[in-house]
Amino acid sequence: MTDVVFPVMSQDNPEATGVLATWYVVDGDAVAEGQLLADVQMDKVDAEVAAPAAGMIRLTVAEGSEVVQGTVVATLE
Amino acid sequence: MTITESAPTTRRLNTSKAMVEAIAQEMEANPEVVYLGEDVGAYGGIFSSTTGLLDQFGPDRVIDTPISETGFIGLAVGAATEGMRPIAELMFVDFMGVCLDQIYNHMAKISFESGGNVKVPMVLTTAVGGGYSDGAQHSQCLWGLFAHLPGMKVVVPSSPADAKGLMTAAIRDDSPVVYMFHKGVMGLPWMAKNPRTVDVVPEGDYVVPIGKARVAREGSDVTVVTISLSVHHALDVADKLAADGIDVEVLDLRSLVPMDREAILASVAKTGRLVVVDEDYQSFGMTGEVIASVAETDPGLFRTAPQRVAVPDVPIPYAHALEYAVLPRHDRIEAAIRRALG
Repeated sequence: MTDVVFPVMSQDNPEATGVLATWYVVDGDAVAEGQLLADVQMDKVDAEVAAPAAGMIRLTVAEGSEVVQGTVVATLE
Repeated sequence: MTITESAPTTRRLNTSKAMVEAIAQEMEANPEVVYLGEDVGAYGGIFSSTTGLLDQFGPDRVIDTPISETGFIGLAVGAATEGMRPIAELMFVDFMGVCLDQIYNHMAKISFESGGNVKVPMVLTTAVGGGYSDGAQHSQCLWGLFAHLPGMKVVVPSSPADAKGLMTAAIRDDSPVVYMFHKGVMGLPWMAKNPRTVDVVPEGDYVVPIGKARVAREGSDVTVVTISLSVHHALDVADKLAADGIDVEVLDLRSLVPMDREAILASVAKTGRLVVVDEDYQSFGMTGEVIASVAETDPGLFRTAPQRVAVPDVPIPYAHALEYAVLPRHDRIEAAIRRALG
């Protein structure tokens, strides 16, 4: 099982929070390694989250949620 | 060109990423394809129409221009006549006034004036539409104006898959194509969210032919003919009315030039009732043209008077409540459908 984490976008503040802006997958999708999973936002900066491995995805954070960077937002089984 | 990838069929993108994917694939395949405009390089387009292209193709092919639309659109016209396939971006369609001579006297007419000997295979991309309080000079659609002037194809995608397929077709077309992307369908995190702006997009080579409408929802009671963001609103209303036993067909025109009049006639022949929804101004525009397509071919198809929902002939207000009052939103679309049903 592989964790998908909210990327670290602030080096200054380890507790910085961001928003999971868009999920491009739905719970239970089979995804390929490198496939686009989500857009995240922090302080008006956008970033893409790609699948670190192939597998079936289980979302643990809903679209629109604000979370601390580094939080696990999904797992790949 | 065929690209085959063993990727999952569930791969989803938002509309802006789908549009960029088509541009990147065509740039990859053909060195004559370049993209130029204001803030299309490092910024990636203010509505994310070019995100990542500068990194992939460099500043010789993804060109940030000075604020001189006449200059860089004229440059694109000249490059196209010499065999390149440039894509020039007019940041907001509202700015067309400063460069319209290049667009409709040159881009649109050179092929005709040369007896077809000189082609102008360029794409003019531009952001359109309102709904986010950007005022009267940054919220217009104006596609009816471009469609009125002969010589340009006018393409207006509503979904991620169409954004990709129509962009591929536009770049490969030997005629000038105006590709108008509504800010509200791009799927941008900072705009109003609409679930239909993220959807499955075919991977690899993908073409949607220009001029073929799409039945976005099949229905039997009433036909809603529309385009762009209004397709999303019409589908929302259709879902709601289904609970009342009203079966709405939604036809997404996808392009105004060419307009798929056969698809309009086929749908109205089935339902007998027509509602046209357009975010452009009402008078002398798409709504009248769609109704005329039926009226001058087979007026007997109408079982009730056709209805139109468009922007009344006023500049688009900045104030949120007033702006929503003039835009063709859910409440006005629903009311028009109920009127059409009689």
